[in-house]
Parts: sequence; structure tokens; C-alpha cells
Amino acid sequence: MGTLGARGRRWVIPMTVVCLVLGGMLGIQVHSQRLRGASQVGRQTSALVGMLTRNSAQVEQQNEEIERLRGLLTEYEKEAAGEKELARIMQEELHTSRIALGTVAVKGPGVELELSDSTMRAGGNFGEQDVYVVHDFDLLQIANELWCAGAEAVSINGQRLLTGSAIACSARLIEINKITVASPYVFTAIGDKGKLMSALNIRDGVLDRLRVLQFPVKLTPKDEVVIPPISVPPKYEHAQPVEKESKR
Amino acid sequence: MIAIPFGALVLGFLVVYALLPPVPPRWADYVAIAIVAGLDAFVGAARNWMERRFDEAIFISGFFVNMALAALLAYFGDKLGVDLYLAVVVALGIRIFNNLGRTRALLVTARVEARRARAAAPSE
Repeated sequence: MGTLGARGRRWVIPMTVVCLVLGGMLGIQVHSQRLRGASQVGRQTSALVGMLTRNSAQVEQQNEEIERLRGLLTEYEKEAAGEKELARIMQEELHTSRIALGTVAVKGPGVELELSDSTMRAGGNFGEQDVYVVHDFDLLQIANELWCAGAEAVSINGQRLLTGSAIACSARLIEINKITVASPYVFTAIGDKGKLMSALNIRDGVLDRLRVLQFPVKLTPKDEVVIPPISVPPKYEHAQPVEKESKR
Repeated sequence: MIAIPFGALVLGFLVVYALLPPVPPRWADYVAIAIVAGLDAFVGAARNWMERRFDEAIFISGFFVNMALAALLAYFGDKLGVDLYLAVVVALGIRIFNNLGRTRALLVTARVEARRARAAAPSE
């Protein structure tokens, strides 16, 4: 390094400062990369992780808000229920409405139906397996059958079925109320046990069709089943109630 | 003499690694790009040294300002949803590579010239 020395030592101090800073930054980076786990986590992954954490936090926050509002509602109801006949009637009305709206968990006699993808396996060609997996329309048909037989509340894998509930195919999975569920699908229905059982077991009905293709189907009557409230209550942005005999 | 900056590099690394908590993941990208900018300044300085126009003021200001600018550009890119990050990485990468190549060429030339001078000296 004779040439360096020959040109004086003025370079030493800036070089030292810069090296110190650079070393420090490398230290930061190596440290955080190591803690991130794999050395090649990549930028996209971290962005996705960021998104996921943000969303999870949001969901959690909103769940808390729901809890809080529900508590508040119960309080108001209790206050209102304290007095008078009118309050009692309104209370009853509210009770029914809340079951219909699915904002409360409900329990009662009913049936439980467990349904998984078929044990049969198609060989060879891609797409042939489609016949042996549970589809959105299977679930729709079963749900329809249950409603027809007078079910008062129905849920699939804990997702309450209500007026606005959609059962939709989403890639290889099924979305219920916009929430993804997968096999095995467990229907829980409250209603007249006998009627529900016979409606589902009807000859050449949906279950018969599935049994032929060796879908494992387990249908059991229950003295008490519990159906959870809807996880995301519906919002009404466009629909407005029509007031009877209003101004016109 | 070269040991002092090198020691500082190691010291900075060890001190920060041992004492400071890791930065949150979303900052890590900006730190990374700042490091690339720092490396660029470093390699640029090496080239300037070989070309005998090294200047401390330019070096040190370039080092810090480029670091900040690179990180800032990446940050704005993120805000705008454009991958300016990539632009910075590509631009700096090309510059680092160019400067390294230039430095190498100058080193080789210097060595060849020195050898020639040595070979010529005894004959005279």
C-alpha cells in the first residue's frame, strides 16, 4: 500500500467513518435477515406477510368491535325488557328476528350430516377426479332439502346459512358466506328430526346419489345441536325499507 | 494504515449486530438498498483513487447522500406502487460492475507499466 501512503493520510478518517457506518448497516441487515428465518425470504413474501398481519389485525379489531356492540345490544334489551307489555312483545319480536338474522347462536333438536370427498379415486386423466369431490351444488342441494323439510337453522362447518348466504365454488374449495371451507363438510340443522332425516334419505335424493359414488355420508339425528351466529353480519347499503303510505 | 478502516467495518458490524434489535421487516428492504448504495460509493471511490482524482469530500457526501436517496427512492416507489426499488438496484448494480471493471483494468495497466519500466531500466 505504498501508493496510498504516498498520497498522505487524509483518506483514513473519511474511510473509517464510512466503514463504520457500512459495517453497522451490514450488521443490521444480517441480523434482521437471520431472524427472518430463511436467507432468501424474498421481497414479495415479506409484502404478503405484511398484508396478512395487517389484515389479521384488522379482523381481530373488528371482531372485538362486534363483541362490544353485541354486549351493548344485550344491555339495551335488558333495560327495555324491564317494563311493560309492549316491551315484552317487542322483545319477542326481536327474539325471532335475531334468530332469522342469525346474530345469536341457537340450539335445539335436529340432525348432523357429515360429508367427505369420495373414497373412490379416478385414475389417469386430469380432471376426472372432479366427479369424486364434493361440489358447491351438492351442498346447495342438501341445504335446499333441509330448508324444504322445515329446518329452522342450518350451518355448514360452523357457517350459518341465512337469507344472504351464498354457497360458491372457489377454485378447489367452497366458499360459504365468503368464507372458505373444505371437506369434510358438516351440516348442522335444527328442526323436526324425523322430517329432516326422511327428507335427506329420500329415495334417489341427493344423498343416494352421493352414496352410489362412495362419498362417506354420516347422517345422525341429535337431541340437541348448537348452531353458531353468523360470523359477518350482513350490511345493507343499497336496500332501504319502503315506508307504507308515505308522502305519495 | 488500511487496517483502521477495515477494523472500523468489523467493529461497526459486531457492535450493531450484538447490541441493536433487528429492524422491522418492512425497513429491511430500505436498509438493504442503502447498503447497495454504500457499496457503490465505495467502489466508485476505489476507481477514483486509481484515476488519481479521489476526494474525501465527494466520497463522504456521496456515500451518505446516495444511501439516503436510494432508500428514499425505494420508499416512494413502494408508496406509489411502482417497483422503483428494482430501478435503484439495477442502476447501482450496473455502476458497481462498471466501476469494478474499470478499477481492475487500471490495476492491471499499472502493473504492466511498472513491469515494463523495470524491464527497461537495466538496459539503459
